Amino acid sequence: MKNLRLKSARAAMDLSQEDLAKLCNVSRQTISAVEKGDYNPTINLCISICKALLYNLQNHSYSLY
Amino acid sequence: MFFYRSIGLLCGILVGVVLCVVFFRYANTDKKIKTNYDERQEGIRNKAYKYAFYTVLFYEALLLFLGVGDIKLPIPSYALNFFGIILGCTVLGVYCVFKDVFWGMNNNKKRYFIVFTLCILLNLFSVIGSIISGMFIVDGVMSFAAVNFMVLFMFAILSIAMIIKAVKDKGEET
Repeated sequence: MKNLRLKSARAAMDLSQEDLAKLCNVSRQTISAVEKGDYNPTINLCISICKALLYNLQNHSYSLY
Repeated sequence: MFFYRSIGLLCGILVGVVLCVVFFRYANTDKKIKTNYDERQEGIRNKAYKYAFYTVLFYEALLLFLGVGDIKLPIPSYALNFFGIILGCTVLGVYCVFKDVFWGMNNNKKRYFIVFTLCILLNLFSVIGSIISGMFIVDGVMSFAAVNFMVLFMFAILSIAMIIKAVKDKGEET
């Protein structure tokens, strides 16, 4: 099953797969595999992805003010 | 004579190890020898190592049967054993290429391609040199250049796998 929520969250942050991969310290192919539903990430990677997206979300909101 | 030959071979292997260290440090972006893989890559590579292990296991069993049956091949025994290592590495490499885990996170692909090209050229020169001098097959048995030929075989298979994978990925993107 495709992980569309991750894909949309990444797109909303205007991040490429490469950018998110660098933030999470994984390869671009791993992010692609998670988005396609080919790979079920460990809890550590899930936390890293969440942190990376939240971090960028905060940065984004700060830049609005 | 054999003693000096063994010492020479050992020195050659040591030089090879030093060169490998230099090449890895040059080709990795963080100047480390070890390649870093993420959790997905590690998991898939573990499977690749398993397949490589079984390949070498079956190959060695085959060699055992050949030995028991006293079947002589036109290849020296050291080259036959080396071919087992090459076969295992090829299985590992091809599986990793098709599963997108061949390249680690700290690998500089361009630099690796330079190193690979250098390795191919060095082995190619050795094989061509021995063929030209008529020393590739001596008394119906392959010479030491057979080892270089096997390395070339591995690089050829890996290159073909990488090309097929690149074409396949391109097809999926469009």
